[in-house]
Amino acid sequence: MTAHQPTSRQFKKNVTAALANENLQRAMRSTQSGFVGKRAKARDALPEFDSLRDAARDLKNHTLAHLDLYLERYETEVKASGGHVHWAETAGDARRIVLDICRAAGAKTVNKGKTMISEEIGLNAHLEENGVRAVETDLGEYIIQLRGEAPSHIIAPAVHVTVPEVDALFRKTHAHLPADRDLSELPTMLAEARAVLRQKYFEADVGVTGANMLIAETGQSVIVTNEGNGDLSQSLPRVHIVLASIEKIVPTLEDAATVLRVLARSATGQEMSVYTTFSRGPRRAEDPDGPEEYHVVLLDNGRTGMLGTEFQDMLRCIRCGACMNHCPVYQAVGGHAYGWVYPGPMGAVLTPSLIGVEEGGQLPNASTFCGRCESVCPMRIPLPKMMRHWREREFEKHLAPAASRYGLRFWGFFAARPALYRRATGLAARALAALGRGRGRFAALPLAGGWTRSRDFPTPAPKTFMQQWKER
Amino acid sequence: MSAREAILARVRKAAGGAEGREAAVAARLAGNGPHAPRPAQARSEGAARLELFEAKARAADATVARIATVADLPAALAAELRARNLPATVRTGADPLFVGLDWGAVERTEGVGRLEEPATLSRAEFGLAETGTLALASGPMNPVTLTFLGETHFVALPTADVMAGFEDFWAAWRARGLDPRTLNFVTGPSRSADIGQTLQLGAHGPVALHIFLIG
Repeated sequence: MTAHQPTSRQFKKNVTAALANENLQRAMRSTQSGFVGKRAKARDALPEFDSLRDAARDLKNHTLAHLDLYLERYETEVKASGGHVHWAETAGDARRIVLDICRAAGAKTVNKGKTMISEEIGLNAHLEENGVRAVETDLGEYIIQLRGEAPSHIIAPAVHVTVPEVDALFRKTHAHLPADRDLSELPTMLAEARAVLRQKYFEADVGVTGANMLIAETGQSVIVTNEGNGDLSQSLPRVHIVLASIEKIVPTLEDAATVLRVLARSATGQEMSVYTTFSRGPRRAEDPDGPEEYHVVLLDNGRTGMLGTEFQDMLRCIRCGACMNHCPVYQAVGGHAYGWVYPGPMGAVLTPSLIGVEEGGQLPNASTFCGRCESVCPMRIPLPKMMRHWREREFEKHLAPAASRYGLRFWGFFAARPALYRRATGLAARALAALGRGRGRFAALPLAGGWTRSRDFPTPAPKTFMQQWKER
Repeated sequence: MSAREAILARVRKAAGGAEGREAAVAARLAGNGPHAPRPAQARSEGAARLELFEAKARAADATVARIATVADLPAALAAELRARNLPATVRTGADPLFVGLDWGAVERTEGVGRLEEPATLSRAEFGLAETGTLALASGPMNPVTLTFLGETHFVALPTADVMAGFEDFWAAWRARGLDPRTLNFVTGPSRSADIGQTLQLGAHGPVALHIFLIG
């Protein structure tokens, strides 16, 4: 397989393709109500939910303010437990570290629990290029790996794939099974994937997982899953590698509980995900199972550059996916249109931070500023505000498309001259009101095709607000 | 400069030279940081606590049975295996709770989880009533692979070990002085909604989770 190169630059082209993709639109429609309704129910069932969000925000702010000290304590604890800590400044460094560990272990196969950091650093392609087979075990990740795709959602990676597509995929991939088998029921499909992957857990030499949190006090890494694949991936192979970015640190066990209390409720509406696992070091001398080696790769990849800037708050993100579940733009175009690893509102802020505003600068424009993302974020991250900051930077760097630059300059000319602005808008309002009298709306307007193609343009009131205000 | 030093130097620069940072961090790590609000559902007591634990575990698709003493465990397990059409065998660790019992018709083998494992039995260190969650400590007493490879996972939990929520749980956990390779919180059997966004039980871990509450 090849690495997924970012396509965020051609966001508009991606969107056009996504809107015309009937399979994708069908898949997106079927998910819409699920996540939103489940989160609302979970929130309503816990009166303390909003105050827990405040506590979670505060604990992460505290941690980020002292991240160096917590990282040092965390490292000390991991070493004390017999584990190894590797520091990676860039994606390339992280890839090299993981490959070196695999080579030292003589690994041919690596089993993977779900990790977004692995997607961020393009690990699978790198391992394959160097003769190490990487097998995704999260069911959704398994499906998209077979399709040669990147995830389209951070917690539901195959949300864009329909059931008939999975059926066809399994028939093609699991060619050792009878071709005429009945896969019409979903449980049969799940059982087939379970049986195929169960075997692979026992064959892998190395298991790679992500981390939802790293605990400074104890040196533990935490993973949260529903399938149990992350636990089989870390318990059966001889070597366990944890991929984590530096901002995943929380100070104490009690702090971890605060995050857990808002995480699953925001993500899937569960009170707790099925499996929450705290891992510390390799297996003990008396242990009959578990890995003999435990490695943590701590990735920076641009995050320290966000500290102390207007984007620092983004480092509070716990990757629950609530922002994209509630985003009208994400729901219309799906995750792939965003062109890199992190989609939706959190991706629109994170992508330009991590791979540059030149590549990701269009994404912050993919927002109606409706504010739902911020209103549901368990860490109270001001996503719309940060998207606005990116728009400013994109404009300052002359990266915005010519049409919007000239449009803004044209508008700016009038906006800087209030008398002229009022006269011009008054004239336009009168003209439009006269033209649209009786109908109340326009089905087509010159220069407004982008608007009227998908909805009517309402007829404005004959007088502007300022005119009406003066007449009072 | 090593990657470690470079990363830490950038973090330090952003943090600035504010006074008292070390003291603030030490206080938090010593448990003297601010306390997050404790939800009402994490404050249950007595019989209500056990009822809440059961209700929450069932809401997460686990099944729960109460038995009076640990001596009743073999017969209760045998009945469950029969009712579920499973062979009369179970895989466990070396937990003292299991070792001294007369298992009668149930063939109990000790060891780690294997590729095919119809039924496994573990003892949980604690339960958390607020979410119906089990807390298991890995090790020779309860190998971690039994928690994930059993097609049906049975878990024994003395009622005295059911905590109200995370607050009293962490205190009890620290007091017991355990340091396992993994602490596994388990809330219901494994599941996935990755095919067609339809939730199904039994992804990679157990298809069913049955809890014996003892006492």
